[in-house]
Amino acid sequence: MVLPVWWRKRIPRYRFVGALCKDCGRIHYPPRNACPYCGSRNLELVPLPRRGVLESYSIVYSVPGDNRLNAPLPIGLVRLENGVRVVAELTDVVPEKLEKGIEVEAVIRRIGEDGETGTILYGVKFRPALGRK
Amino acid sequence: MAYVTSVGLVRVDRNYYKSPRDLAFEAASKAIEDVKLDTIDYVIVTSSLTYLQASQFDLAAYIARELGVNVRSAFTVEAGENSGLAGVEVALNLIRSHAAERILLVGVDKLTEYISNRTYKMIQAIYDTESDAVYNVGHAGPMALLMRLYMDRYGVDRETLAHWPVMMHTHGKENPYAMLRFKVTPDKVVNAMPIAEPITLLDAYPLGDGAAAVLLSSEDQGGDHLAKLSEVYSSIGFQSIALRDDPLSFEAVGQIAREAGLNPEDIDVAEIHDSFTITGILLLEELGFAPRGKAAEMVAEGAFTKGGSGPLVNASGGLKARGHPKGATGVYMLAEVAMQLAGTFPGIRADSPRKGIAVGVNAHGSSARLAFLEAL
Ligand SMILES: [Zn+2]
Repeated sequence: MVLPVWWRKRIPRYRFVGALCKDCGRIHYPPRNACPYCGSRNLELVPLPRRGVLESYSIVYSVPGDNRLNAPLPIGLVRLENGVRVVAELTDVVPEKLEKGIEVEAVIRRIGEDGETGTILYGVKFRPALGRK
Repeated sequence: MAYVTSVGLVRVDRNYYKSPRDLAFEAASKAIEDVKLDTIDYVIVTSSLTYLQASQFDLAAYIARELGVNVRSAFTVEAGENSGLAGVEVALNLIRSHAAERILLVGVDKLTEYISNRTYKMIQAIYDTESDAVYNVGHAGPMALLMRLYMDRYGVDRETLAHWPVMMHTHGKENPYAMLRFKVTPDKVVNAMPIAEPITLLDAYPLGDGAAAVLLSSEDQGGDHLAKLSEVYSSIGFQSIALRDDPLSFEAVGQIAREAGLNPEDIDVAEIHDSFTITGILLLEELGFAPRGKAAEMVAEGAFTKGGSGPLVNASGGLKARGHPKGATGVYMLAEVAMQLAGTFPGIRADSPRKGIAVGVNAHGSSARLAFLEAL
């Protein structure tokens, strides 16, 4: 990932906002130029719920690039409280305790480093939800 | 329509001593050595990784120039893992519109130039680099999420799913162009090193280098041909599995299967994209070869091998055993189905097949293509 590519997407990535389509009413993440469902460009940025349920997960061993030093890495398919799904890395988990249906919450974590500039790249990861809502 | 006139294949392998251009030269030379040719109208190279692995632009022109044949035009087509069949689609349309009489398709890719974690970084870019591939999902992560979802939803166990790679290795063992030519057992698959749980090393395609070439001709070209290329159907899908109403549906594949009016009972041979066990299983279901949740069981019962109740699927060994040099794979598929229909495939053969398909996708189905072939 080159730095400007990362920088352009910093707002949705750091603040965890999606896009609401004002034509079909569906929300997607990350926000795109057009609604993936109906093609409309009539979109509005909306904050996403921080909590969701883990629908599937994997422990990735074939970790790309310099991040191989952190292998294995857990990833998940999360269904947020409003029904929007996200593929993201998981964090603060004990792999053996991962299971379908557990409640998770979004947190900001380090995703990697830009190899050339050394800049640390952050983004949303999910961890098992702490306490009650 | 167009004719598949001849093919040239290089065995997929870790070809350390050959560059992408050497591999392309070898496959292309084999494809044209026995054909009388004045001119090739287009050399279409399909490659996904060459820019990254060999730092070469205008690859098709460099490959074409070395062939020693009069070539009018050359260009490269890139569509990730679906590059090969994208090239087939372009070639068929050029021939159909009378812009070309002869087209040489050359698929080539090299995956072993760099150490594996660097290659994983390159091939992770088959997924959307603005969403899923922002994370360290690797080449297998999103498909691993689908595999676990599939096992949970349909109550299919790990061992049953292992019968796909078992069948692929049994087929690949008989194919001289296959990279992996040894048998495996379900037990070996389940207990192999994990790539992205529950996907193990033996569920995944091997990293290998290869090239395949196919000469396509218009109807006006006399001489012998192997098969008829009747149609290529094409569609694009969602950017991520997360956007689908059902993450397990390869909607782009379903779309082209409907468009083609595909009736599984009419198909005798098929080469389908099985980057991982789960990809092969989900494609079988999306194409209507198996009911939802039942493909793995049918594979275990031998439905898709020689003598089974269904079509002969991936007699080549598939991406799993023949290998998956990315941009070359679709051209291998086209060549293999054409050889099946001509009765010249050098491995396990279907009994006098009449109709065949080659089906490819990129990643989780960002694009999908289906080439329909008929025996002459
Ligand atoms: Zn919409």
